[in-house]
Amino acid sequence: MTISFACAVSHAPGMTAWAEAAPPPQRDCINNGFERLRGELDASGTEVLILLTSEHWTNFFLDHIGAFCVGRAASYRGPIEPWLQIDKAEVKGDPEIAAELLEASYDEGVEPGFAYELEFDHGTMVPLHFLAPRMDRPVVPVFFNTLAAPQPSARRCLAFGRVIGKVAARSPRRIGLIATGGLSHDPGERNHGVIDIEFDQKFMAAMAGGEVKRLARYARSEFAAAGAGAFELLSWVALAGALDGRKGETIVYEAVRPWATGIGMMSFPPAVAA
Amino acid sequence: MSVYALQKLIRDVNRKPDCRDAYFQSAAEFAASYDLTADERAALLGMNIRALYAMGVHGLLLRPFTLLRQMPEGDYLKAIRGD
Repeated sequence: MTISFACAVSHAPGMTAWAEAAPPPQRDCINNGFERLRGELDASGTEVLILLTSEHWTNFFLDHIGAFCVGRAASYRGPIEPWLQIDKAEVKGDPEIAAELLEASYDEGVEPGFAYELEFDHGTMVPLHFLAPRMDRPVVPVFFNTLAAPQPSARRCLAFGRVIGKVAARSPRRIGLIATGGLSHDPGERNHGVIDIEFDQKFMAAMAGGEVKRLARYARSEFAAAGAGAFELLSWVALAGALDGRKGETIVYEAVRPWATGIGMMSFPPAVAA
Repeated sequence: MSVYALQKLIRDVNRKPDCRDAYFQSAAEFAASYDLTADERAALLGMNIRALYAMGVHGLLLRPFTLLRQMPEGDYLKAIRGD
Protein backbone atom coordinates (compact mmCIF):
# COMPACT_ATOMS: atom_id res chain seq x y z
CA MET A 1 0.00 0.00 0.00
CA THR A 2 1.34 3.43 -0.83
CA ILE A 3 2.25 5.87 1.90
CA SER A 4 -1.15 7.32 2.68
CA PHE A 5 -0.13 10.78 3.80
CA ALA A 6 3.09 12.76 4.03
CA CYS A 7 3.89 16.24 5.18
CA ALA A 8 6.67 18.27 6.75
CA VAL A 9 6.01 21.05 9.23
CA SER A 10 7.86 23.26 11.68
CA HIS A 11 7.15 22.99 15.39
CA ALA A 12 8.22 26.29 16.99
CA PRO A 13 6.79 26.52 20.53
CA GLY A 14 5.56 30.02 19.78
CA MET A 15 2.99 28.49 17.43
CA THR A 16 0.91 27.70 20.49
CA ALA A 17 2.59 29.32 23.50
CA TRP A 18 2.79 32.85 22.14
CA ALA A 19 0.82 32.54 18.94
CA GLU A 20 -0.62 36.04 19.31
CA ALA A 21 2.85 37.56 19.04
CA ALA A 22 2.97 36.74 15.33
CA PRO A 23 1.51 39.25 12.87
CA PRO A 24 -2.10 38.20 12.11
CA PRO A 25 -1.50 37.64 8.36
CA GLN A 26 1.34 35.22 9.12
CA ARG A 27 -0.66 33.50 11.83
CA ASP A 28 -3.65 33.12 9.52
CA CYS A 29 -1.48 31.71 6.77
CA ILE A 30 0.00 29.13 9.14
CA ASN A 31 -3.36 28.20 10.64
CA ASN A 32 -4.80 27.78 7.14
CA GLY A 33 -1.85 25.60 6.21
CA PHE A 34 -2.44 23.34 9.19
CA GLU A 35 -6.15 23.21 8.40
CA ARG A 36 -5.41 22.06 4.87
CA LEU A 37 -2.96 19.41 6.03
CA ARG A 38 -5.36 18.22 8.72
CA GLY A 39 -8.04 17.83 6.02
CA GLU A 40 -5.65 15.85 3.84
CA LEU A 41 -4.73 13.61 6.75
CA ASP A 42 -8.34 12.99 7.73
CA ALA A 43 -9.30 12.23 4.13
CA SER A 44 -6.40 9.83 3.68
CA GLY A 45 -7.74 7.15 6.01
CA THR A 46 -4.34 6.98 7.67
CA GLU A 47 -4.35 4.47 10.54
CA VAL A 48 -0.88 5.01 11.97
CA LEU A 49 1.50 7.96 11.86
CA ILE A 50 5.26 7.58 11.83
CA LEU A 51 6.44 10.88 13.24
CA LEU A 52 10.00 11.86 12.34
CA THR A 53 10.84 14.30 15.06
CA SER A 54 13.38 15.80 17.42
CA GLU A 55 13.41 16.67 21.08
CA HIS A 56 15.03 19.24 23.30
CA TRP A 57 16.93 17.43 26.08
CA THR A 58 13.63 15.92 27.20
CA ASN A 59 14.43 12.21 27.04
CA PHE A 60 18.05 12.16 26.03
CA PHE A 61 21.14 13.69 27.54
CA LEU A 62 24.86 13.40 27.03
CA ASP A 63 25.04 10.41 29.38
CA HIS A 64 23.62 8.27 26.58
CA ILE A 65 22.65 9.46 23.14
CA GLY A 66 22.36 7.82 19.75
CA ALA A 67 21.67 9.02 16.25
CA PHE A 68 18.09 7.71 16.04
CA CYS A 69 15.59 6.31 18.51
CA VAL A 70 12.36 4.50 17.65
CA GLY A 71 9.57 4.62 20.24
CA ARG A 72 7.95 1.25 20.84
CA ALA A 73 5.70 2.16 23.74
CA ALA A 74 1.97 1.48 23.87
CA SER A 75 1.43 5.14 24.81
CA TYR A 76 3.24 8.40 25.42
CA ARG A 77 2.56 11.50 27.48
CA GLY A 78 3.07 15.12 26.57
CA PRO A 79 3.74 17.92 26.47
CA ILE A 80 6.29 18.26 29.26
CA GLU A 81 6.14 22.07 29.01
CA PRO A 82 3.37 23.45 31.26
CA TRP A 83 3.53 26.76 29.39
CA LEU A 84 2.97 25.37 25.89
CA GLN A 85 -0.79 25.97 25.94
CA ILE A 86 -1.45 22.43 24.80
CA ASP A 87 -3.39 20.24 27.22
CA LYS A 88 -1.49 17.27 28.58
CA ALA A 89 -2.59 14.18 26.73
CA GLU A 90 -1.91 10.52 26.31
CA VAL A 91 -0.95 9.60 22.76
CA LYS A 92 -1.33 6.01 21.65
CA GLY A 93 1.72 4.25 20.31
CA ASP A 94 1.95 1.33 17.92
CA PRO A 95 4.49 -1.23 19.17
CA GLU A 96 3.78 -3.55 16.23
CA ILE A 97 4.74 -1.03 13.55
CA ALA A 98 7.66 0.10 15.70
CA ALA A 99 8.94 -3.50 15.83
CA GLU A 100 8.54 -3.88 12.07
CA LEU A 101 10.45 -0.67 11.52
CA LEU A 102 13.26 -1.77 13.81
CA GLU A 103 13.58 -5.22 12.28
CA ALA A 104 13.58 -3.83 8.75
CA SER A 105 16.16 -1.21 9.70
CA TYR A 106 18.53 -3.75 11.23
CA ASP A 107 18.07 -6.01 8.21
CA GLU A 108 19.00 -3.12 5.92
CA GLY A 109 22.05 -2.00 7.87
CA VAL A 110 20.68 0.95 9.84
CA GLU A 111 20.60 0.37 13.59
CA PRO A 112 18.48 2.90 15.47
CA GLY A 113 18.13 2.70 19.23
CA PHE A 114 14.73 2.07 20.73
CA ALA A 115 12.86 3.00 23.87
CA TYR A 116 9.75 1.80 25.69
CA GLU A 117 9.46 5.05 27.62
CA LEU A 118 9.51 8.46 25.99
CA GLU A 119 7.91 11.78 26.77
CA PHE A 120 6.87 14.28 24.16
CA ASP A 121 7.84 17.93 24.21
CA HIS A 122 6.76 20.69 21.85
CA GLY A 123 8.73 19.10 19.02
CA THR A 124 6.16 16.33 18.82
CA MET A 125 3.11 17.82 20.49
CA VAL A 126 2.85 20.98 18.36
CA PRO A 127 2.41 19.08 15.07
CA LEU A 128 0.04 16.59 16.71
CA HIS A 129 -1.98 19.42 18.25
CA PHE A 130 -2.60 20.95 14.83
CA LEU A 131 -2.76 17.85 12.65
CA ALA A 132 -4.39 15.24 14.89
CA PRO A 133 -5.90 17.23 17.75
CA ARG A 134 -7.99 14.34 19.08
CA MET A 135 -4.69 12.51 19.73
CA ASP A 136 -6.50 9.29 18.82
CA ARG A 137 -4.35 8.12 15.92
CA PRO A 138 -1.49 5.82 16.97
CA VAL A 139 1.95 7.27 16.54
CA VAL A 140 5.39 5.73 16.16
CA PRO A 141 7.86 8.46 17.10
CA VAL A 142 11.30 8.38 15.56
CA PHE A 143 13.68 10.79 17.25
CA PHE A 144 16.72 12.23 15.51
CA ASN A 145 19.67 13.51 17.51
CA THR A 146 19.77 17.12 16.42
CA LEU A 147 21.37 18.55 19.59
CA ALA A 148 24.64 16.82 20.37
CA ALA A 149 27.47 16.76 17.85
CA PRO A 150 28.03 14.77 15.82
CA GLN A 151 24.51 14.68 14.50
CA PRO A 152 23.77 11.96 11.93
CA SER A 153 24.69 12.91 8.40
CA ALA A 154 22.02 13.84 5.88
CA ARG A 155 23.15 10.89 3.79
CA ARG A 156 22.51 8.53 6.70
CA CYS A 157 19.13 10.10 7.44
CA LEU A 158 18.16 9.63 3.82
CA ALA A 159 19.15 5.95 4.01
CA PHE A 160 17.15 5.48 7.21
CA GLY A 161 14.23 7.26 5.56
CA ARG A 162 14.31 4.80 2.66
CA VAL A 163 13.81 1.95 5.12
CA ILE A 164 10.96 3.82 6.81
CA GLY A 165 9.35 4.32 3.41
CA LYS A 166 9.62 0.62 2.55
CA VAL A 167 8.04 -0.41 5.84
CA ALA A 168 5.20 2.05 5.35
CA ALA A 169 4.64 1.06 1.74
CA ARG A 170 4.52 -2.69 2.32
CA SER A 171 2.31 -2.56 5.39
CA PRO A 172 -1.30 -3.71 4.99
CA ARG A 173 -2.22 -0.77 7.19
CA ARG A 174 -2.45 2.80 5.96
CA ILE A 175 0.64 4.56 7.25
CA GLY A 176 1.26 8.27 7.07
CA LEU A 177 4.50 10.15 7.64
CA ILE A 178 5.07 13.50 9.32
CA ALA A 179 8.49 15.11 9.48
CA THR A 180 8.82 17.99 11.88
CA GLY A 181 11.37 20.63 12.82
CA GLY A 182 13.21 23.65 11.40
CA LEU A 183 13.58 25.64 9.41
CA SER A 184 16.40 28.09 10.16
CA HIS A 185 16.56 29.14 13.80
CA ASP A 186 19.14 29.32 16.56
CA PRO A 187 17.25 28.88 19.82
CA GLY A 188 19.09 29.94 22.94
CA GLU A 189 22.23 30.64 20.91
CA ARG A 190 24.02 33.78 19.75
CA ASN A 191 22.02 34.12 16.55
CA HIS A 192 18.66 33.64 18.21
CA GLY A 193 16.18 35.59 16.11
CA VAL A 194 18.14 35.31 12.86
CA ILE A 195 16.15 33.64 10.07
CA ASP A 196 18.01 32.61 6.91
CA ILE A 197 15.29 32.93 4.30
CA GLU A 198 17.57 31.99 1.42
CA PHE A 199 18.67 28.76 3.11
CA ASP A 200 15.07 27.90 3.97
CA GLN A 201 13.79 28.47 0.46
CA LYS A 202 16.58 26.49 -1.18
CA PHE A 203 16.04 23.61 1.21
CA MET A 204 12.29 23.59 0.60
CA ALA A 205 12.85 23.76 -3.16
CA ALA A 206 15.02 20.63 -2.94
CA MET A 207 12.30 18.93 -0.87
CA ALA A 208 9.60 19.99 -3.33
CA GLY A 209 11.57 18.61 -6.24
CA GLY A 210 12.27 15.31 -4.52
CA GLU A 211 15.96 16.03 -5.06
CA VAL A 212 17.28 13.28 -2.86
CA LYS A 213 20.85 13.52 -4.12
CA ARG A 214 21.06 17.20 -3.24
CA LEU A 215 19.42 16.62 0.12
CA ALA A 216 21.88 13.85 0.93
CA ARG A 217 24.74 16.27 0.26
CA TYR A 218 23.67 18.80 2.87
CA ALA A 219 26.67 19.12 5.18
CA ARG A 220 26.55 19.62 8.92
CA SER A 221 28.22 22.98 8.32
CA GLU A 222 25.30 24.08 6.11
CA PHE A 223 22.75 23.26 8.78
CA ALA A 224 24.90 24.84 11.49
CA ALA A 225 25.19 28.05 9.48
CA ALA A 226 21.40 28.28 9.42
CA GLY A 227 21.27 27.94 13.20
CA ALA A 228 21.45 25.08 15.67
CA GLY A 229 17.76 24.36 15.15
CA ALA A 230 18.25 23.77 11.44
CA PHE A 231 19.63 20.32 12.26
CA GLU A 232 16.01 19.39 12.89
CA LEU A 233 15.68 19.33 9.10
CA LEU A 234 17.42 15.96 9.16
CA SER A 235 13.95 14.54 9.75
CA TRP A 236 12.77 16.22 6.56
CA VAL A 237 15.67 14.62 4.70
CA ALA A 238 14.59 11.25 6.07
CA LEU A 239 11.08 11.95 4.81
CA ALA A 240 12.49 12.64 1.35
CA GLY A 241 14.24 9.27 1.55
CA ALA A 242 10.99 7.57 2.52
CA LEU A 243 9.17 9.20 -0.38
CA ASP A 244 11.97 8.25 -2.79
CA GLY A 245 11.71 11.21 -5.13
CA ARG A 246 8.03 11.98 -4.71
CA LYS A 247 7.49 15.64 -5.42
CA GLY A 248 5.86 17.96 -2.96
CA GLU A 249 4.21 21.30 -2.63
CA THR A 250 5.18 24.17 -0.40
CA ILE A 251 2.03 25.25 1.38
CA VAL A 252 3.53 27.82 3.71
CA TYR A 253 6.76 29.64 4.20
CA GLU A 254 6.84 32.50 6.64
CA ALA A 255 9.81 34.01 8.45
CA VAL A 256 8.08 34.62 11.76
CA ARG A 257 10.26 37.02 13.76
CA PRO A 258 8.37 36.79 17.08
CA TRP A 259 8.79 33.01 16.95
CA ALA A 260 12.43 33.44 15.85
CA THR A 261 11.98 30.71 13.26
CA GLY A 262 11.48 30.16 9.56
CA ILE A 263 8.16 28.34 9.49
CA GLY A 264 7.50 25.93 6.64
CA MET A 265 4.84 23.44 5.69
CA MET A 266 4.91 21.03 2.79
CA SER A 267 2.55 18.40 1.49
CA PHE A 268 3.55 15.33 -0.51
CA PRO A 269 0.28 13.88 -1.78
CA PRO A 270 0.34 10.50 -3.56
CA ALA A 271 -1.45 12.11 -6.52
CA VAL A 272 1.71 13.94 -7.57
CA ALA A 273 4.00 10.93 -7.19
CA ALA A 274 6.99 11.11 -9.51
CA MET B 1 34.87 17.00 29.96
CA SER B 2 33.90 18.70 33.18
CA VAL B 3 31.47 20.89 31.27
CA TYR B 4 29.54 17.65 31.10
CA ALA B 5 28.93 17.80 34.84
CA LEU B 6 27.93 21.45 34.60
CA GLN B 7 25.44 20.69 31.83
CA LYS B 8 24.17 17.70 33.77
CA LEU B 9 23.50 19.87 36.79
CA ILE B 10 21.63 22.43 34.69
CA ARG B 11 19.62 19.76 32.91
CA ASP B 12 18.71 18.15 36.25
CA VAL B 13 17.47 21.51 37.57
CA ASN B 14 15.50 22.12 34.39
CA ARG B 15 13.91 18.67 34.21
CA LYS B 16 13.63 17.26 37.74
CA PRO B 17 11.39 18.99 40.27
CA ASP B 18 13.29 17.54 43.26
CA CYS B 19 16.58 18.86 41.90
CA ARG B 20 15.01 22.23 41.14
CA ASP B 21 13.75 22.53 44.70
CA ALA B 22 17.14 21.56 46.12
CA TYR B 23 18.92 24.02 43.84
CA PHE B 24 16.69 26.90 44.84
CA GLN B 25 16.99 25.98 48.49
CA SER B 26 20.80 26.08 48.39
CA ALA B 27 22.58 26.27 45.05
CA ALA B 28 25.95 25.82 46.73
CA GLU B 29 24.93 22.65 48.55
CA PHE B 30 23.22 21.28 45.48
CA ALA B 31 26.28 21.98 43.31
CA ALA B 32 28.55 20.17 45.75
CA SER B 33 27.36 16.80 44.48
CA TYR B 34 28.52 17.56 40.92
CA ASP B 35 32.14 17.38 39.79
CA LEU B 36 32.56 21.02 38.79
CA THR B 37 35.75 22.98 38.33
CA ALA B 38 36.26 26.05 40.51
CA ASP B 39 35.50 28.33 37.54
CA GLU B 40 32.33 26.45 36.68
CA ARG B 41 31.17 26.54 40.27
CA ALA B 42 31.83 30.27 40.50
CA ALA B 43 30.00 30.97 37.22
CA LEU B 44 27.06 28.86 38.29
CA LEU B 45 26.69 30.32 41.76
CA GLY B 46 27.22 33.84 40.42
CA MET B 47 24.72 33.25 37.60
CA ASN B 48 27.39 34.49 35.21
CA ILE B 49 25.51 33.60 32.04
CA ARG B 50 28.20 34.90 29.76
CA ALA B 51 30.79 32.64 31.39
CA LEU B 52 28.48 29.62 31.43
CA TYR B 53 27.80 30.03 27.73
CA ALA B 54 31.48 30.54 26.94
CA MET B 55 32.27 27.32 28.80
CA GLY B 56 30.06 25.47 26.34
CA VAL B 57 26.69 25.06 28.02
CA HIS B 58 24.17 24.31 25.26
CA GLY B 59 21.72 27.11 24.53
CA LEU B 60 18.71 24.84 24.95
CA LEU B 61 19.92 24.02 28.46
CA LEU B 62 21.03 27.50 29.41
CA ARG B 63 18.05 29.49 28.17
CA PRO B 64 15.45 27.35 30.01
CA PHE B 65 17.69 27.55 33.11
CA THR B 66 17.60 31.35 32.98
CA LEU B 67 13.84 31.28 32.47
CA LEU B 68 13.51 29.67 35.91
CA ARG B 69 14.71 33.05 37.19
CA GLN B 70 12.53 34.98 34.73
CA MET B 71 15.50 36.45 32.89
CA PRO B 72 14.18 38.53 29.95
CA GLU B 73 15.22 37.39 26.49
CA GLY B 74 17.05 40.64 25.75
CA ASP B 75 19.17 40.32 28.88
CA TYR B 76 19.96 36.70 28.09
CA LEU B 77 21.04 37.47 24.52
CA LYS B 78 23.10 40.43 25.68
CA ALA B 79 24.87 38.14 28.15
CA ILE B 80 25.71 35.31 25.76
CA ARG B 81 26.75 37.70 23.01
CA GLY B 82 29.04 39.52 25.40
CA ASP B 83 27.46 42.87 24.51
